[in-house]
Amino acid sequence: MNNYINNLLFTYLPHIAMTLFWFGVITRIVKTSKSLQAESSQFLSKKGQRWGGNLFHYGIILVFIGHFMGLFTPEHFYHLFMTTATKKILAVIMGSVFGTAAVVGITILLVRRLKDQRIRINSSIADILLIALLLFEMGLGLISVAISAGSSVENYAALGEWAQKVITFQPDAGVVIAGHSLIYKLHIVTGLFIFMIFPYTKLMHMFVMPLAYFFRSGYQLVRRGFTKRPA
Amino acid sequence: MKIQAQIAMVLNLDKCIGCHTCSVTCKNVWTTRKGMEYAWFNNVETKPGQGYPTDWENQDKWKGGWVLDKSKLRPRMGNKAGIMKNIFSNPYLPQIDDYYEPFTFNYSILHSSAKFVTPPSARPHSMITGLPMEKIEKGPNWEDDLGGAFEERSKEKNFDDIDKEIYSKFENAFMMYLPRLCEHCLNPTCVAACPSGAIYKREDDGIVLIDQDRCRGWRQCVSACPYKKIYFNWKTKRSEKCTLCYPKIENGEPTICSETCVGRIRYIGVMLYDAEKIKESASSENPVDLYQSHLDIFLDPNNPEIIAEARKQGIPDNFIDAAQKSPVYKMAVEWKVAFPLHPEYRTLSMVWYTPPLSPIQEEVESGKLGFNGIIPDVDMLRIPVKYLANMFTAGDEKPVREALVKMLAMRAFMRGKTVENSEDEAVLSGTGLTAEMVEEMYRYMAIADYEDRFVIPVSHKEYAFDAFGDKAGCGFSDGEGCGSMESRLKNLFGGM
Repeated sequence: MNNYINNLLFTYLPHIAMTLFWFGVITRIVKTSKSLQAESSQFLSKKGQRWGGNLFHYGIILVFIGHFMGLFTPEHFYHLFMTTATKKILAVIMGSVFGTAAVVGITILLVRRLKDQRIRINSSIADILLIALLLFEMGLGLISVAISAGSSVENYAALGEWAQKVITFQPDAGVVIAGHSLIYKLHIVTGLFIFMIFPYTKLMHMFVMPLAYFFRSGYQLVRRGFTKRPA
Repeated sequence: MKIQAQIAMVLNLDKCIGCHTCSVTCKNVWTTRKGMEYAWFNNVETKPGQGYPTDWENQDKWKGGWVLDKSKLRPRMGNKAGIMKNIFSNPYLPQIDDYYEPFTFNYSILHSSAKFVTPPSARPHSMITGLPMEKIEKGPNWEDDLGGAFEERSKEKNFDDIDKEIYSKFENAFMMYLPRLCEHCLNPTCVAACPSGAIYKREDDGIVLIDQDRCRGWRQCVSACPYKKIYFNWKTKRSEKCTLCYPKIENGEPTICSETCVGRIRYIGVMLYDAEKIKESASSENPVDLYQSHLDIFLDPNNPEIIAEARKQGIPDNFIDAAQKSPVYKMAVEWKVAFPLHPEYRTLSMVWYTPPLSPIQEEVESGKLGFNGIIPDVDMLRIPVKYLANMFTAGDEKPVREALVKMLAMRAFMRGKTVENSEDEAVLSGTGLTAEMVEEMYRYMAIADYEDRFVIPVSHKEYAFDAFGDKAGCGFSDGEGCGSMESRLKNLFGGM
């Protein structure tokens, strides 16, 4: 790959993408937080939603945690517990299990969205394209896992090195993965594209995940009314 | 003691004629929007029947209400972790088909100028897909006046411990109407199950509302409500529910369903209760004790100590006055002729029902006397007492029986007084009623003047917040912003 393009995509694009991502997320939360919500279609059709919804969501959450830990844990830190080779095996196993779960789940959801008449008619083009885009990205991810399984430990370790160089603003970040397979690169670029459009899609529902529910004291909520308080 | 006030309702089923005026006026005011065509915040069911949505009383299936888990109260769906693990797919969520697929007719074809070979007819079209429907399989009141086969209708829960086969025979058939709306419970499961914290109970009048700005569409409330009175708007993908017409209530006016009830069966009044007792009351070990423990929460608004304490705790004077004149308090607590719907759900519902009287069985007329002095024996009534008890007192027949006897005694006494001009207090013996009480019961339950039925205090919003900032705002919109063009141009009849 041309050096210039390689640098553009893997040294600079990540920063551009994350800037756009955070700009979008912050403005969306500040300006239109009321419109953030899960857009469930379960009420119109249950078929496939249980397996599809659960496999996809639980799969993708674990895959996300895996990416985060795998890419950003510094080498000297994880060497306290395991060698790079062990980490690679762990990543390949976890990635293939949860990645497959997520891909199977989203495939069910895509089929459901296209085949079920009620859902299809009430879907926007954006709904369908987003699922297709995620499926494409996750398919690339699964192939990357297969490639990692068959390649050297150094090849795998370079991915983490690249990610850590990116977030620490090293100018040579792109060079680290210049020789990697095109599949990895396509996976990364598609991923960055998803980050860039993220704030303007229904993916934003992640930011209203109701974790506060666990911290609510008891179950009931009463909003204060007009009871006259002593002045 | 923490004294709070609640706007509560009683429905006198003895007078309900099943005309659906309440449902239709409610529909026209609140749910004629896209996404809510199928929703009826108020609906009237014919019982026995599986109701709307189908089989809503079957909590083994829908997991609504509360259960005692090692004598601790938790939603039947599960504790917080149990609810959260299902947010990606709620296994207990009813589907639109459990209600019905909303439909309209292509009326426009009837006044088009096209030539038809056969007389034109308007065909049903789905309001979800817009496509023609072969057949309408279900509607909001599919079992109206015992429509459908007994086998289907009798699958409902209230028949569980009744030998129901005899009621399939024509001469034993019975029916009653059950208008249903949100119960505005003291211990609402919908509030408890909402992970976003969008559903709340108002402290001032006890109305349970969904904050549309905070609802994120996790749809746990739909299954949590045992009465299935939370509706998922499939267009906005958020939940909506009966608001007890709070804009009217705040102005001292009755809800639209009550205002328009032609049978004058609805009563709205204030109840004072002790909020600290809610948990204990809802946790009664034995379900048959729940009716009594619910009654025990209510406070006597005429007791000077309660009045003084209520004033001290900031209950406005007009609420205390209204509580003293409350028709709900009279019927539920003083006369004990009204009951909560399914107390075994442990939600402490605040819409109560007076059980209906029904025609005396044939045996009585044919000479086998079922009379107990002057009053007919309640066991001779066409609607089995056990059936009513399963609905209103978790199966305990005694309170229902006593209420029915009181209502029969009231009729006998007032008949004597107005027709035969004799006040025969003998008919009241053993009913716990005095002539004075009967006269008052008659005034409230038979005459039912507007002023007696609705004693609603005007709200004191000025104590709660400064409303100056709300001036020139949007007011109550149709959920699509400040009156979208689409909704303004909608066909007068809601059709296509």
